This record gives sequence, structure tokens and C-alpha cells, in this order.
Amino acid sequence: MSGAVSAEQSAQRGPREWALKVGPWILLFVILAVLPFQFPSFRVEQFCFWMTLAIAACGLNLLTGYNGQISVGHGALFGIGAYTTGILITEFGVPLFGATVAAAVVCFFVGILVGLPALRIKGLYLALVTLAVATLFPLLLEQFSAITGGSGGLQITSPQMYRGEMRERPIRLESPIAGLANDQWKYFLFLAITVVIFVLSRNLIKSRVGRSLVAVRDNEIAAESSGIPVSKVKILTFGLSAAIAGIGGSLFALDQGQLYPSSFTIVLSIYILVAVVVGGASSIIGPAIGAVFYGLFSDVIIQQMPDRIQPARAVILGVLLILLMLLAPGGVVGGVRSLQANFASRKGGSPGSDPDLIM
Amino acid sequence: MKKASVQVSAALLLGFALIGGACGGRDDSSSGDSTTTTAGDSTETAFIDPAADCTDYKGTQGVTGDTIKIGTVRPESGSYAIYDNVTKGLEAYFKSANAAGGLPAADGKKYQVELIKKNDEYDPAKTPALVKQLVEQDGVFALVGNIGTETNKSVRDYLNENCVPNIALATGSTQWGDANAYPWYISGLPSYATEANAWVSYLEEVNPTAKIALLYQDDDFGQSYKAAIEKAIEGTKITLVAEEGFNPLAGSTTEASVTKLSQSGADTFIVGVGGTACPLTLSFVPATWTPMTMISVTCGSKTALSLAGGKDQGVYMAQPTLDPADPADQSNPKVVEFATQGAAAGLDESAIQGGIASVGWGFGSMFAVGLKNATTVDRAAVMNALYSLKDSTFGLIRDEVTVNTDGAKDPWAIEGFRIVQRENGAWVEKAPVTNEEGKSNSFAGK
Repeated sequence: MSGAVSAEQSAQRGPREWALKVGPWILLFVILAVLPFQFPSFRVEQFCFWMTLAIAACGLNLLTGYNGQISVGHGALFGIGAYTTGILITEFGVPLFGATVAAAVVCFFVGILVGLPALRIKGLYLALVTLAVATLFPLLLEQFSAITGGSGGLQITSPQMYRGEMRERPIRLESPIAGLANDQWKYFLFLAITVVIFVLSRNLIKSRVGRSLVAVRDNEIAAESSGIPVSKVKILTFGLSAAIAGIGGSLFALDQGQLYPSSFTIVLSIYILVAVVVGGASSIIGPAIGAVFYGLFSDVIIQQMPDRIQPARAVILGVLLILLMLLAPGGVVGGVRSLQANFASRKGGSPGSDPDLIM
Repeated sequence: MKKASVQVSAALLLGFALIGGACGGRDDSSSGDSTTTTAGDSTETAFIDPAADCTDYKGTQGVTGDTIKIGTVRPESGSYAIYDNVTKGLEAYFKSANAAGGLPAADGKKYQVELIKKNDEYDPAKTPALVKQLVEQDGVFALVGNIGTETNKSVRDYLNENCVPNIALATGSTQWGDANAYPWYISGLPSYATEANAWVSYLEEVNPTAKIALLYQDDDFGQSYKAAIEKAIEGTKITLVAEEGFNPLAGSTTEASVTKLSQSGADTFIVGVGGTACPLTLSFVPATWTPMTMISVTCGSKTALSLAGGKDQGVYMAQPTLDPADPADQSNPKVVEFATQGAAAGLDESAIQGGIASVGWGFGSMFAVGLKNATTVDRAAVMNALYSLKDSTFGLIRDEVTVNTDGAKDPWAIEGFRIVQRENGAWVEKAPVTNEEGKSNSFAGK
């Protein structure tokens, strides 16, 4: 909508403006590049986990933020991606990233199945259907323990030489670059995939297809009468969103090397939704910010607190969420936008001149 | 608008980076005064040779001056929080040792122990991050008394690859018998298979045509029992007539399973579940079914059995350790020492009598034996000491139980049980201790 306009505008701006626009991104990438060298490997692996969460949240954001369909079941789709990857690698010897592609395809179709009811039901009712999926998933993992390993977990292994004999050993992403540890290599690999997925999502949203997503969200009848195939858009968005969540899950499997049902409970679905809401729905970068916030909260801040407080993490997170929603209902990105709007109107400029901000 | 928001987001990220930066760096001093050392044990027969097996070996990580940093992971909350008492016992042991000047080592020094505890809620999905944090950030020398089979399994490759000792695992899974592949792990409990074998041996004696109904926890712990029972009854007239799996994480109870098993016509009931599910199972046994009931050793403490609603009367157990709540054991010097020093270190009467803290006390004691016997204060040396125990003992192991290890040939420290029956809150010996030195791995089923 305003993408072309803002591009024109920026072309007219001076080099100083350009530097101000590009500078922060360069800074961001420098930080991201330096990060894995500053932390011990377990922390870098956590960063990788945050990225997988960000990818899943990016998928959910397409669905919820841009297409207006609520899903509380993306934890299950994430899990399906993870288990598909694990089983394909361990049982069928599929190459690591081949399994990721397969996971995305499987999740695309599962997403379409889950999304079918969305043609008839909306809003809270759809949320309930996806909630059922999220609740059932860990139980299904337990039920089919012959394939999934049940509560004993699924060890993702491949035959490797170890202590002089071939053994099933946990998979690993070996760094091909000397001087780059395995975890650092994994970090950059995941970062590249994450960036690609976010950029592709951004391009999608800025395209005709993206505009039809938003049109369906804003007013189905109006969208229909403008010639948008509403059912097709809704179903395909569900599938695409699920596929992206599945890629996140697949990377999670590659990151952890072992999977347990307890990682894919309803709680995960809620956290993915939290990441979207905290970061700011209907902004592309929002889910990534939300995922980083959640990661910082659960892996860093809570861990620094005394053991006795840790079981209350859900309560603390809940309180923080309520506060955030009171102070910045649009999430971090929304809060930043309204701050800017205030600032701009005080300066006398026109507030919110770029309402469809991608950021 | 756009540029400003980008700036803010960048500033936020920078902020996160700074927050994170406070948590330690890759090459900073987080790993203490770690130095790369050569093989800890100079004798040729040493089980572990870090020079051959480890890349980037940090044999003395966590040893600073006269302090040794030890880590432990246990469920402090959740449905397995009852096992936190193990860690209380472990902590009491170290506290007591610290108060007495420290743990003696071969270098003539006495070491104070600093114990760092983490809570994984018995969830193997949470364990790896915590253990890696202990190793990479807190810089511990070793892990001692980690609780849970699946939780320990989830970090087995990591710890063995990094040559970090995991001593006195609070689990008897048969997997810990694979010392060839995983020499940095040593269990602090007897193998569940050896225990199951002790049950069946006793059954053969008293009821050679026993019909067993088995309730097992549907994870590695319970499956170890199941597989070992199936193996032990091969070639005997004992039969397994009914079995029910129980998933401890599903949030249900064993009641339905117990009812089913009670109608199977079995005359023997083996309860291969742990946690509070075990005593609750006893309370579900209908009055019309009076089998000979065998319970898991993980369930035999006073604390656990007090939850059985009086149905613990008459149950059987294979017992390797002294029970501080059993009047017959209370005069044993090991129990006296535990009771007096444990109390001085802050354990209350119920913890001392409870029979769970005493297990953790034993784990602390096992580490102390390893440190004392080690040729130097070094990770590999401590493991080698623990894998070459000769007529040793630690904690509250029964005096008749022999404690010997020999690398992968005999990786289990505790391999002896006596059979006891519960009578009025005490244990009555039904069969004396049988030591199965070096045989534990052979009892493991498939």
C-alpha cells in the first residue's frame, strides 16, 4: 500500500536520512554477528532456540496478525515439524536439511487440514479448534510411543564412529570452518534461515497476495466483492503459516538433537502467541522481538532468580503481559509507533503518516 | 517514522545484548582456573585416559584453591519434588564435611565443597540447558547425585564428550552399565535389573510357580524392571500373567491399572513405579486381592510408604541400604553418623528418618570416596578411582553388601540386596544379602 510511496519518499531524502535509516540495521547485524563469540556455547544454543521460536511466531503472525485468524495450535505444528525431522533423520537417514524441507511440506498439509474448519468458524471458535490440536498433540506423542519414543523422548541420531565402533550417535551440525565452533556455525546457519524467512514474509506481505490477506482480515465481504477468493486465501494462509512453524520446529529438532513431548504442550503454543502479541502483531519484525523477549525472560532472567521463584514463572510472565497490554496494547512495535506518533504530533508533523509500517 | 523505529529496535537489541553480556563470555573466566592437564591417573591400567578420549580436556575445572564446585540437577517442584529430599541429603553431607574442615584428597589438602543446585522439574527437555549452564557458566568440577533416568540420559552424550564426571546418578537404569561408551557416568544406585533379579530369585525360593502381575512405569525406569523380570523368569515356572504400563507424566493415577491387575488371577504383584505413584498404588489395592507385593526400592522409604494409607504392611522389597527409620538399623555406626552429623547440618528428624535424604547423603559420600582415592585432584583421576573400588563402602550401604568396581567389566558399585518384609513400620529380613559382583549387566533384559 504505502510501500511504493515510502520508497519514493526515501529516494528523495538526503544522505543523512539514508544513513539514519540504514545505520541501525548495520548496527543490528554487527551485534548479531558478534553475539556468538561473546557467550558460552549453551547460551548460543539458546539463541538458536529463540530463532526457531521467532520463525514459528513469524508464521503465526502471517495468520493472526495479517489474516485475522487466531491459532492457539502453532506449538503442535512446531512439534510436528520437529518430530517429522527427528523421525526422518533417525529412521530413514534423510539428510538434515532435507528433513527440514520435508517437515515444511508435511506441516503445510497439516495446516490446511487444521485450517479447513476456519472456513466455517471464526474468532474464538476457531481458537478453540486449534486449542484442541495443541492439547491433543503431546498425548498423541505418548500414544504412539513406538514411533515418537513417548515420554522417554526421541533421540535424533545417525550412525557415527565413536570409540572405535559404529554407534547411533546424536546428530550434530559440524562446522566446516576452522575457528568456528559447532554451536557458532549452527547460530549463523539458523540466523541466515531466519533472516531469509522474515525477508520472504515481508515481501509476501508487501505483494498483491499480502494485500489480499489483509483485505480478508479487515472485511471478508468487501474482499470477496473485490474478487479475492476468500476461502482459498484463508486455507492457503493457514497452510503457509503452518509450514513456517514447521520449519521453526525442524530447526528446533536440529538444535536440540532430542525431542520430548513436554516441549510441545499447550504452553508452547501460548508462548508463540505471546511472542507475536508482545512483539506486535501485524508488523514483520514484531514476532522476532517478542521471541527474543520471551527467550530473555525464560532462559536468562528467570534463571537468575532464586530456585524458589522459578516455578512461578508463568505467574510472573502473566503479570508482565497484563502490564504490557495495558501500557502498549500494540506490543513493542505498537508502543514504539505510538511514541513516535506522539513525538511527531508534538513537533507539529502529521502523526501516523505511515500506518502500514512494516518495521 | 520508519528510521526512528528501526533505531529503537536496534537500541532494544543492543540492550538485550548487554543484558546477556552480563551473563558471561565465551573465553572469560567462567570456567574457573581450568587448565588443560594430561592424564589424571598415571597407572597403565587406568580406565579413562583423557589424553586419548578428550579434546580440550579441563581436568581441574571447578577447583580453585581449596574449593571444589559441584553441580546437581533435581526436581525441586513438580510431581517428583519428593526427590528434592535426596538433594537435601547431598547438601547436608557436603555441609557436614565442610564444617569438619573439608573433604580429604590425595594431595593432602582438604577441600570445601560448593554445591550449585538447579531445578529441572524431572523434565528431560529442561535438563540439557541447566547442565550446560553448570558446566560452561558456573564451571563445576563434576555433577553429583543428578536425579532421574531420562534427565540424565538427555545429557549423557554432552557430558561424556566434554569429559565431565557425572557421579552417583540417582537412577539405576541398566543403561549406566555401558561404561565402555560412557565412562564419565557412574550410578549411585544398584541396577534396576539386579533388583528385579533379586525379586525373582526370592520368588523362586518361596513360590516357584508364582503368577506375576506387573505394574511398570512406562519409561526407561519401569521398562528396565519389565525387561529384567522377563529375562529372569526364563526357564522357571514363574509366569508374567498381566502387565500394565503407567505414564507418570499423563497426570492420571494407577487406580484403573491396579483394578485390572487385581482381576488377573495373579498371586504376586510387582510395583515397578516410583514417586508418590508407588505408595498410592498400594492404597488402591482392593481388599479382595491379597497378593505377595514387591515394591521398587525407590519406594521403600518411610516418607514414601507413609502415603500408602496403611497398605504398606506386609509388602516385600529388595534392600541394599540401611534404613534410618528401622529400629534394627538405628544402632549401626553408619546410621548413627548420618543421624548426628545430618542433624548438625540442618536435616530435621523427618528428613533423617524419611529414608530419602539418606540416599543423597550416600551420593555425597560416594564422591568423597572418589576424591579421596584419586591419585590427583582431577576429573579423570576421580572417575578412575570410582571405577576401581576395592572392598569399599559409602553412605548407608549395608555392611554385608560388597562394593567393588572394575571399569567396564564391573561398572556397578552396589550389587547386593537382601529381601525384607514390612511389619509395623520396620523391616524383617526374609533372605540375607546376596552379592552379585560384576553380574549386574547380565541381568538386563532387552
